[in-house]
Amino acid sequence: MPVAKGWVKCRVGGFSLEVDWHIEEGQVLVLFGPSGAGKTTTLRAIAGLVRPEEGKVELGGRVVYDSADGISVPVHGRQVGYLTQQYHLFPHLNVSENIAYGLSQRRKPDARSEVERLVRMLRLDGLEDRRTWELSGGQQQRVALARALATNPQILLLDEPFASLDAELRRVLRRELRAMLVESPIPVMLVTHDREEALALGDSVQVIDDGRIVDQGEPLRILGQPGWGRVARLAGVENLLPMTVESRNAQDGTMVCGGGGMTLEVPLDATPSGQSDATDQMENILVGLRSSDIILAIEEPKGTSARNRLAGTVASVEPRTPGYEVTLDCGIPLKAQVTGAAMSELGIKPGQNLWAVFKASSCFLVQEETPPSRDTGAIS
Amino acid sequence: MMGTSFSRLKGLPSLPGGGLLGPAATVLYLLFIGLPVLALLIRAAQQESFLTGLVGGMALTALRLSLITSGISMIIIVLVGTPFAYLLARNTSWMLRIVDSLIELPIVLPPVVAGVAMLMAFGRQGVLGPFLEALGISLPFTTGAVVFAQIFVAAPFYIRSAKLGFQSVARDYEDISQTLGISPWKTFWRLTLPLAAPSVLTGFALAWARALSEFGATIMFAGNLMGKTQTMPLAIMTAMESSLDTALALSVLLLAGSVTILIGLGLATRPKWQNRL
Repeated sequence: MPVAKGWVKCRVGGFSLEVDWHIEEGQVLVLFGPSGAGKTTTLRAIAGLVRPEEGKVELGGRVVYDSADGISVPVHGRQVGYLTQQYHLFPHLNVSENIAYGLSQRRKPDARSEVERLVRMLRLDGLEDRRTWELSGGQQQRVALARALATNPQILLLDEPFASLDAELRRVLRRELRAMLVESPIPVMLVTHDREEALALGDSVQVIDDGRIVDQGEPLRILGQPGWGRVARLAGVENLLPMTVESRNAQDGTMVCGGGGMTLEVPLDATPSGQSDATDQMENILVGLRSSDIILAIEEPKGTSARNRLAGTVASVEPRTPGYEVTLDCGIPLKAQVTGAAMSELGIKPGQNLWAVFKASSCFLVQEETPPSRDTGAIS
Repeated sequence: MMGTSFSRLKGLPSLPGGGLLGPAATVLYLLFIGLPVLALLIRAAQQESFLTGLVGGMALTALRLSLITSGISMIIIVLVGTPFAYLLARNTSWMLRIVDSLIELPIVLPPVVAGVAMLMAFGRQGVLGPFLEALGISLPFTTGAVVFAQIFVAAPFYIRSAKLGFQSVARDYEDISQTLGISPWKTFWRLTLPLAAPSVLTGFALAWARALSEFGATIMFAGNLMGKTQTMPLAIMTAMESSLDTALALSVLLLAGSVTILIGLGLATRPKWQNRL
């Protein structure tokens, strides 16, 4: 039984958005994409803050918007929990008044015990009388969450909930939020353009670009080895290598391809996303490779099962948390991620000759053309 | 001559208000404003029959009329001006932007001109004159005309300030409030108005002060009839010709009212959460 589902078509100025979603009880759907892709507009359309041209929005089995039937429940009747990037805590109210804000319809004792419950649950004890600007970023987020949860929402809409926090706090809060969401039956839609965040929090992910869903599925599959060029760039795949197929080895399920003076062994013509259709005939392909999948070695490694061993010269070394990004010129520049310890042990510096080693299965094929547009209307 | 003064100026720090120029200007300005105010108080205290002037028929009548008319004006200004200011703050259509830029016209318009303009609109020979006459209404030289004149000159102060207050409340706050189950109407009362209150109250005080001190438009459009259209500023002018006591008493009263408004403004418009929006 799906708890939140629907589809919308929106037009804001010259921008058009066409998305659909389906979130089961207790599941987190991540909307992943660049800024301006339509992620926030999707959340606002579900909340009723943006009026779609067409669509149907169902929350907890209740239809709150249906253009076909002329149903449009106003925002304050939809029971959505909406968290903005800056949380927007009400500055004229203290912490417990903020949490109680949406409980004005309830009897006083009920509201008080509900606030107490949420304060305990989100570990805000002792902060009840604080002013909102006296709180840390993490505390502000918890107050915003408590304020949203108090109204018994049928869906939680989280718009880049970690955007205004520093990297360290972001990791801590991500764990906290994950733990909290696991316990809660409320379906969650979370907007982010951070790949790590999507992988850590999402049960499933939809990649949105320019108002369209370009890919969707399990986060690790979609964002780990993305099959589409656009998604690969959004997900920050460090190496996208243009190659030409030289020979296919159906028995091993690999093929040999070359380009820019280097030869690679990569998986045979089946993109991880399952779109294997046209690659058979394609001789020019794009190979994706994550920088963290590359091993660097001082001498040519012998007796290894890794199928790809490339010699190259270090072109540059740049810090990239966690560790360093080494760009190796192997004919084509190849980016490899190493730790600080590995850096000093190998004494890596520009001009040095190194070997790059990686498995054939670390390589994945990426299709450059735009994925076919999906017909969202059909899903309803 | 020019050369010497210029070279002396060059010796001053380049920062305006720095060195001696700033303090000197401050003292000069405070004397300029303070001396007349002080003189008014001293002169009033010296006057033997000050109290008589205060309770004299003319002063009390003018005071009562001023309070009643400005009270009515402020009620109308708040009732009409608040939704108008909110609309201006939230709507950015080009038509409203034009309206927005015209709002302040009465502030820069000489009040006497405002009075003439109102006569041309509502006077017997005015644009709406025949229509009003048919209804049996004659507006000029009535207490109603006093209220009209006050609204005309005072409303922009309230609307402008309230608009800025509403603009300072980001739309996102109202959005969040509505997702928490609070209707737009209740959101206004529970969120937007409290957050905009400092500016709204400032606007209220400024508009009220302006309504109380209104002179030019009133004398043009409403005349100077004791008990009917003679508000305090008009009574002061009239009294100057006959009884200095009354004029001084009324002046001190208006001064006291102004100071009270200033202090009230200072207290009401500095909430703890200022600059946190």
